[in-house]
Amino acid sequence: MSAAERFLEVRDVVKHYGAIRAVDGVTFTLAPGEIVGVIGPNGSGKTTLFNSILGQIRPTSGSVAFRGEDVTGMAPLELARRGVGRTFQTLQVFGQLSVRDNLIAAAQEFQGSMIRRMFAAPDAGVGRRADEMIELFRLGHVADLKAGTLSYGQQKLIDIAMAFMPAPRLVLLDEPCAGVNPSLVEELRELLVTLNRTQGGSFVVIEHNMDFIMKLCPHVICMVEGKVLAEGVPAEVQANRAVLEAYLGN
Amino acid sequence: MGELVQLVVSGVATGAIYSLAALGFTLLWQASGTINFAQGEFVMLPAFAMLFCVLAGMPLWLGVLAACAAAMIVLGWGFKRLIVDPLIRHGVIPLVIATLGLSTFLKTTVRAGYSAEAHQFGSPFPGGVFRIAGINVSWADVGTLLVAGIIVIALQTFVTRTVTGRAMQAVAQNTEAARVLGIDVKRMVLYTFLINAVLAVVAALLITPTYLAKFDMGDSIGLKAFLAAIIGGFNQTRGALLGGVLIGVLENLVGFYVSPAYKEGVALMLFLGVILVRPEGLLGKVEERKV
Repeated sequence: MSAAERFLEVRDVVKHYGAIRAVDGVTFTLAPGEIVGVIGPNGSGKTTLFNSILGQIRPTSGSVAFRGEDVTGMAPLELARRGVGRTFQTLQVFGQLSVRDNLIAAAQEFQGSMIRRMFAAPDAGVGRRADEMIELFRLGHVADLKAGTLSYGQQKLIDIAMAFMPAPRLVLLDEPCAGVNPSLVEELRELLVTLNRTQGGSFVVIEHNMDFIMKLCPHVICMVEGKVLAEGVPAEVQANRAVLEAYLGN
Repeated sequence: MGELVQLVVSGVATGAIYSLAALGFTLLWQASGTINFAQGEFVMLPAFAMLFCVLAGMPLWLGVLAACAAAMIVLGWGFKRLIVDPLIRHGVIPLVIATLGLSTFLKTTVRAGYSAEAHQFGSPFPGGVFRIAGINVSWADVGTLLVAGIIVIALQTFVTRTVTGRAMQAVAQNTEAARVLGIDVKRMVLYTFLINAVLAVVAALLITPTYLAKFDMGDSIGLKAFLAAIIGGFNQTRGALLGGVLIGVLENLVGFYVSPAYKEGVALMLFLGVILVRPEGLLGKVEERKV
């Protein structure tokens, strides 16, 4: 396996909750700049896999390596410092902060030492980047409003923009389209393509919107009951009989 | 009319001290889910520390600085590491019981180890009153309002206009998201405990000339600060300010126009009234919690 392919290496990850095997031996790799989609019915272990990769839960067994370093069970704070970000299924914006402050908060911790940050300008030197993201995500008209006062769709965009503020090397997006107006879905896909092209980061995307994921991701993994049922290019996975049965039932 | 204004001004000054202690309640709650029922004793201890320094011959300002340093180590860092960190993972109730125990322990220790007597504590402000628009205003009230106002404005500026303050707000609003975004949650929570310790020292400096330094002086201010925080809204720092000032003013008015005997019951009556009509507090927001 080449060094490039070992950018993210998830090897035989297992997570048990008592007798329940939420994730059951999942293995996949991700190359720099690659976008991988993860699909599967509800309860198939997708989010547990994300949490295992991001150290929010420690896998029962298996390993996760990022850029050649074993990061299995590493705390989210340490992973964030290594350039790994994520979004959650549910909104995670800071409701009492303005949109612009939300974006600054998402990147400020990466601007030098703690002492330097304590005496830094209020925008921590990332104000311009926040303005760029606000423009990219078309949030200019609400930039100074409290995030908690905005619509669900707008907050979802802020959530995603925050994950990209520190220019992460790897972003795990958990259902970015959930709750988003269908008219915004195509716009969101274009935004992610633009970010992938301009920032060069790698993405792993969990999504139930098949049209969105098939267009966005050149490589798709289908999980069922904690295991990888099928993987490959979108058309292959979509045509896979086992995948269809998993979604539609026998 | 002049009498009423005088009572209100004096009440606002006393309420500002309650507000400082109440601010500590809301800050700790927002940052770490901690309710500290030893908050009154956190005001009492610095009072004795400052008294000790002054009796040892130090000027008051140096005593205040020494008390701030000691409070940050003992009531900030020490309290968090020895009591909050081990217990918070077990939920709020064990921590509430522990801080109630800590309150008793601190009171008993000061009474047994130092004295059960009340000790005079010099005011940091000049004595006497001055007249303005026909109203008598004491220098102590003006000084108290100035110091409390400066502390509140400095705290608000720090929290809203600095990088570290923004990180503290982020932790208070959504700990999990803050952690994923690389914010050092433990450090931000520690800062909150240190700020609470400094607030307690300032409250002690302002209230002890009136309450006198006594082992049980924290009972009253601790209870009123707690009620002020609930009245204003436990999840809003502005609420703590409002709650404290409301209690201070109403205590003065009831004490003068009704009877001094009812003065100590004002905070409780106000608390009951607010909790029945608006359980989240006057400025508080209803919180959803995952169960």
